[in-house]
Amino acid sequence: MRRYVARRVAAFVATLFFVSGLVFVVVRVLPGDPALVIIGPEGSPEAAARLRESLGLNRPILVQYAEWLGRAVRGDLGVSLQYDVPVGRLILSRLPVTLPLTVMAAALMAAAALPLGLYAARRHRRAGDYVAMVVSQIGIAIPGFWAGLLLILLFSVQLGWVQSGGFAGWSSGLWPGVRSLLLPAIALGLFQTAVLVRATRSSVLDVMREDYVRTARAKGVSELSVLAKHTLRNAMIPILTVAGLQLGQLMAGAIILESVFALPGLGRLALGAITARDLPVVQGVTLFVASTIVLINFAVDLLYVVLDPRIRYE
Amino acid sequence: MRHLARLLLVALALVPLASPAAADAQNLVVQVATEPPGLDLTATPASAAAAVVFYNVQEALVKVDRHGKLVPWLAERWNTSDNKNYTFFLKRGVRFHNGRELRATDVKFVFDRALNPETKHPAAKQYEAIADIIVKDDYTITFALKTTTANFLLNMARQGSVIYPREAVDTLKSEPIGTGPYRLGEWVRGDRIVLVKNPDYHVKGLPKIDRVTYRFIPDPNAALAALKAGDVDAAMFGLGPEHIPDLQKDPRFQVIVGETTNDVIMSMNNSRKPFTDVRVRRAVTYGINKPEVVKGAMFGLGHVLGTNVDPLNPYFVDMSGAMPYDPAKAKKLLAEAGYPNGFDAVLKVAPQYYYTVRTGEVLADQLAKVGVKIKIEQIEWGQWLARVWKDADYDLTIIGHAEAWDVANYANPKYYFRYDSPEFQKLFQESETTVDDKARRELYVKIQKKLVEDAPVVWLYIHPRLAVTKKGVQGLWKDLPAPVFDLSEVAWVK
Repeated sequence: MRRYVARRVAAFVATLFFVSGLVFVVVRVLPGDPALVIIGPEGSPEAAARLRESLGLNRPILVQYAEWLGRAVRGDLGVSLQYDVPVGRLILSRLPVTLPLTVMAAALMAAAALPLGLYAARRHRRAGDYVAMVVSQIGIAIPGFWAGLLLILLFSVQLGWVQSGGFAGWSSGLWPGVRSLLLPAIALGLFQTAVLVRATRSSVLDVMREDYVRTARAKGVSELSVLAKHTLRNAMIPILTVAGLQLGQLMAGAIILESVFALPGLGRLALGAITARDLPVVQGVTLFVASTIVLINFAVDLLYVVLDPRIRYE
Repeated sequence: MRHLARLLLVALALVPLASPAAADAQNLVVQVATEPPGLDLTATPASAAAAVVFYNVQEALVKVDRHGKLVPWLAERWNTSDNKNYTFFLKRGVRFHNGRELRATDVKFVFDRALNPETKHPAAKQYEAIADIIVKDDYTITFALKTTTANFLLNMARQGSVIYPREAVDTLKSEPIGTGPYRLGEWVRGDRIVLVKNPDYHVKGLPKIDRVTYRFIPDPNAALAALKAGDVDAAMFGLGPEHIPDLQKDPRFQVIVGETTNDVIMSMNNSRKPFTDVRVRRAVTYGINKPEVVKGAMFGLGHVLGTNVDPLNPYFVDMSGAMPYDPAKAKKLLAEAGYPNGFDAVLKVAPQYYYTVRTGEVLADQLAKVGVKIKIEQIEWGQWLARVWKDADYDLTIIGHAEAWDVANYANPKYYFRYDSPEFQKLFQESETTVDDKARRELYVKIQKKLVEDAPVVWLYIHPRLAVTKKGVQGLWKDLPAPVFDLSEVAWVK
């Protein structure tokens, strides 16, 4: 196990190194210049050139990258070009929005997808199965941003139950915070829920065809026990694999939905930073998201062991 | 299952139908589309920064008022005997938000700093005529100019000329301090900026509200939803013309459709074939039906434009009919220029500004009829700035120029139009140093005629000011003679 962990840590470091280098080069190769974006067309190209120099953007890419990397390993991600605020602080300030949003979307996803997938599998090729599949097909077909707008129209504009966007902040209490994230979390989780319903259904169906399920039923084990102990637990490995990948996709989906709901989260920070060519922020957010995804995958791998004692990492 | 459905129905019925937040007479929540890239007006010329800071947090010696007139502001008056030496007499008792009184030395510090190349002031060019700044006493300061400069007072009223205390110079980007009706409350990056009332404001009785919250909502549909849900009191930038007819019918809102200085143009790269030939540029102009463009792209909102000089400019001459839609003439001119079958061109637009794409689609359709086949290429804003604006790597592009009095761009052969006419440059230089109003007006008439004749770009229409507020919000400017967003007189009226 120790060797496995060491290998994973090495892979983690290598991933971050690769991602940071790639992002650094890609953002630089893209046409566009942070100084130009800051100065804008109202200013002059000469002013932009002066700003470019003062931001240190005239030096060779490798020098800039080495300098950035040197500071990053010491935990200093640099200062945002547009906000003039340390990148680490910016990322931390956005986490109280994106983290709960992703967790809520993931919780909604698990809470809806597992029972629905299980139900569809149990009702295989009967009305309930078809209804569940049509519903999940719709969920897959509706883009998140559109679902978001529809939810706003219904719950904010028509019914006035929740605000149409923006984040109330946790300082005003738990409920106002949760309330402002509710619609975005539903919109964000919709697609992934639909995908997970299908994954759960097919995984459960596979397991239900196994001999040991038939045996369990034959020896008179209650249906609930068959489902929970014999079926679901064995079906969980592929479900967990899909869900793990989906968590990463939820973070990506947050980029669009945070814009629709005007939430000050990590996704919107990243989008704004890319538009403004705010390299230190793009770099910092990418590293953060990459680390999170690697850690999620790691956690999923460890969960395999819990679910299936036959799995060993040696 | 049936139980569950019944339970759900009961639960839904129990949720109270909350009405949209009732308007709070002391607060105003405004939607803006873009978050400013920093709040230092001496570092960024971005209009998003000006929308928050200019006139609201920081002010200048001179102000462009809602009618487009230059009025004394932090200076209570000025005089000049020779149009080269301007003496400003500062208003007494004006205090910065840190409590200190505004003195002439502050004004000198601000302009010395703007003139210092090391501070990288984005509009340093506006001050290059200044030879010396002399502080006479605490409230009197003289600017000695190298030459007569017609736009000197206007430049003193622009956003780059705001007065701030020297001790706040290092924090202007995130915590600007000034003399304005509001001071900065907080800036929650990515979400909102809050301005709070300055109780010591130098204009008695203003401001009338305690708190203004700017919320950054980039998506126009989300902005509309926020307005309809009552989450914002005013949508200032970002709503499209397609939203207007519906909102005009809604009794909860008032719609402001006004004039701006934002001229939407299709620029032709004057240094790239075939646009090097004036006949081709004229042909393109004749091939465009501008009223149809306004109808098709802007729901009929916005005025057709003939030159760069906008209707809010005192020297405006209506040239919109000078080169009317005439496809036959367009084809003839193209044939004369050696393109009897037309030509292909790429139109680069940045969808960040919705009108550019829509206008481009209408133009492509119209120009195809005279043989100019346009391929629309959508590029992201950062790319547009680098490729089109900086490097002039384009055939055609569409963009709005919001700055007032920006005819100087046509006198700069390096500007992305790449329009290089020594005759025009001479006219412009003359207008810059001519202070006599009648003589200057004549020069501006000549300037506008020359622009029409050379057709370096196609001036399409003035982008209208489109703002929507809840009923009861009063005091906003109807027209925008300068790209500003003055909230000093805003109030709720029952």
